Amino acid sequence: MAKARLVGHRTSKVMAQAMERRTADVRGRVFQMSLLTTLLISLFILGVLIVDVAIDAWGVLTGRPGGFLSGTMRSLSDDPKLGVHQALVGTFWIAVFVAVLAFPVGIGAAIWLEEYAPKNRFTRFIELNIRNLAGVPSVVYGLLGLFLFVEGLGGITGGKSIASAGITLAILVLPIVVITAQEAIRAVPQELKEGAYGVGATKWTMIRSQVLPYAAPGVLTGTLLSMSRGIGEAAPLLLVGAVSGRLGTNPGFFDLSAINAEAFMAMPVIIVEWVQSSGRDPGFAEAAAAAIVVLLVFVILMNAAAILMRNHFEKKRG
Amino acid sequence: MKSPKLCFAGQSAKSSESVSAKLSRTVVLVAGLMTALALVAAACGNDDDGNAADVPTQTDSGGSEAPASKSAPAGAVSGRVTISGSSTVEPISVRVAELFEDVEPDVAVTVDGPGTGDGFQLFCAGETDISGASRQIKDSEAEACAEAGVEWVELRVGIDGIAVMTGENNPVECVSFNDIYGLLGPESAGFGSWSDAGSLGLETSNLPDASLDIYGPGEESGTFDSFIEIVLEDVADERGQDVTTRPDYNANGNDNVIIQGIQSSDTSFGWVGFAFAAHASGVKLLDVDGGDGCVSADADNIASGEYPVSRSLYIYVNKARADDSEAVTAYVDYYMSDDGLGTAVGDVGYVNLTDNAKADTRASWADR
Repeated sequence: MAKARLVGHRTSKVMAQAMERRTADVRGRVFQMSLLTTLLISLFILGVLIVDVAIDAWGVLTGRPGGFLSGTMRSLSDDPKLGVHQALVGTFWIAVFVAVLAFPVGIGAAIWLEEYAPKNRFTRFIELNIRNLAGVPSVVYGLLGLFLFVEGLGGITGGKSIASAGITLAILVLPIVVITAQEAIRAVPQELKEGAYGVGATKWTMIRSQVLPYAAPGVLTGTLLSMSRGIGEAAPLLLVGAVSGRLGTNPGFFDLSAINAEAFMAMPVIIVEWVQSSGRDPGFAEAAAAAIVVLLVFVILMNAAAILMRNHFEKKRG
Repeated sequence: MKSPKLCFAGQSAKSSESVSAKLSRTVVLVAGLMTALALVAAACGNDDDGNAADVPTQTDSGGSEAPASKSAPAGAVSGRVTISGSSTVEPISVRVAELFEDVEPDVAVTVDGPGTGDGFQLFCAGETDISGASRQIKDSEAEACAEAGVEWVELRVGIDGIAVMTGENNPVECVSFNDIYGLLGPESAGFGSWSDAGSLGLETSNLPDASLDIYGPGEESGTFDSFIEIVLEDVADERGQDVTTRPDYNANGNDNVIIQGIQSSDTSFGWVGFAFAAHASGVKLLDVDGGDGCVSADADNIASGEYPVSRSLYIYVNKARADDSEAVTAYVDYYMSDDGLGTAVGDVGYVNLTDNAKADTRASWADR
């Protein structure tokens, strides 16, 4: 009590001083300006990055956009068949793997943890581990993928294949999917749940009819953002065994046989390869920049899909 | 007990209906977006189909020099060729595969470049058909191949000079093997200045008292092995030292990073494959004195063997695979043609073998 009064006393004194002073709130302004500055710095860095990449990529993307999207890995940067088609196919299917594997498992785990799990040590231990897993460097997941999916389950995944890469990245984003879905589910108002129970709903009905629809926008945003992060990863794919020189085949987007074929390419890896090749053949720097733009557009399209779907769900939620 | 449940069952059916309706709409939305994205990219795909038309003309110009007797008629071969090995040889094999694609579009050639040593591991385990190498096979690697029953034929395909470099404003023009040993050898650990190279009692050039920042490939690299073998080995043996470099330099497996390091300082020092160095800006390729005077690092001097720091590049072909697979045979035949040993090697920045050396290589392939 004494402490509370003391605090209250001090606060009222400070307020009184502030009101008497009448001068401009200098400290407040400085604080506000410094916050604005930090925002501008991060925006500036982002802007410089994008402009720099776009300038480098301009020649390739305006000169032969179709050829670049349909072309393959080549040894010379001025080859008219140079392009990202193989890598785009790889990244597309890796994204599909992440969506099909990580989303149901991750969202399911989040529902269990939030709605069913008893609040005991064991649950806390699991949650702690999920949070730690979300911070594990991606290379480590690459090693896991190499031993487990390339070597261990090579018979099923086809070894150094899109399937191995996709499963590895699905595991990589899984903890993030769980955490974001948990946050979204936790944000469902208690009143909604109690209302459902009040009309006699079972737990499952309550979850299906109240929790999931309400949490859907948040779950969706989180999971699709984590997928965007996942498909930008190069390090695990290098370990899982994306080829560096030439991929003999150029499968179409819906050629399912390519999924467990022993050799694949993905956008982040082709960017790494071309940046390295630019030492031998400087033209590859432009190709790498163009590939970065293509990957950015791919990610932006995915995020746009997430926003559209979120708006759709929010409207439903009313 | 039953009636509330029943009542509720109706309610839940209704709500599940609306949920599933929502879900199905979502699925349609997702599928629609994915398909749209895929179609955009796929629509502009598959230009490669058109190349079949080029086949006859390309065949006439290429392949004729090769010992072509064994190869099937053009366009008739299909199959896979898997290549791994040296990242230095990788661009040549890729270039050959690209030119070969116009002749035999149905052969899928995949090329990877993890390094000479890694490549031989895969090769001797029978996982690859061909392995690129920036040095000859080591005895230990040959034993591993023999144990696994993998027989191979060694084909020399081109020459790569190793460029010794510094920043573009460094006054130093030429270094001898002794200078390089003094700057980089095992006894030079801790040397921070170029002039320290003279302190070992070797006969060295007059090097400036300027800070020394060294960048080069790491021990896993074929370029590292070749460099110490060519430049450091003799001096180190004379002085009773291990044949290696000082441990305290900036080692990196990425040639581009090495070049960036050398660009970063006027008095840097480093080495990297000639193919990478030839196009680099902001660096100076030093002349090298291997005992017969200073020789500049250019393609002519490397081909003639006058430039002392150069190495041969090889491919190793699995004999059994070549016998079994028309695709492998046809690919190597093409490699041996002028399109391969001539055009492809030159296209990616390496130096062609002399005509005599090409003939030797072709003979090795024919006699396998």
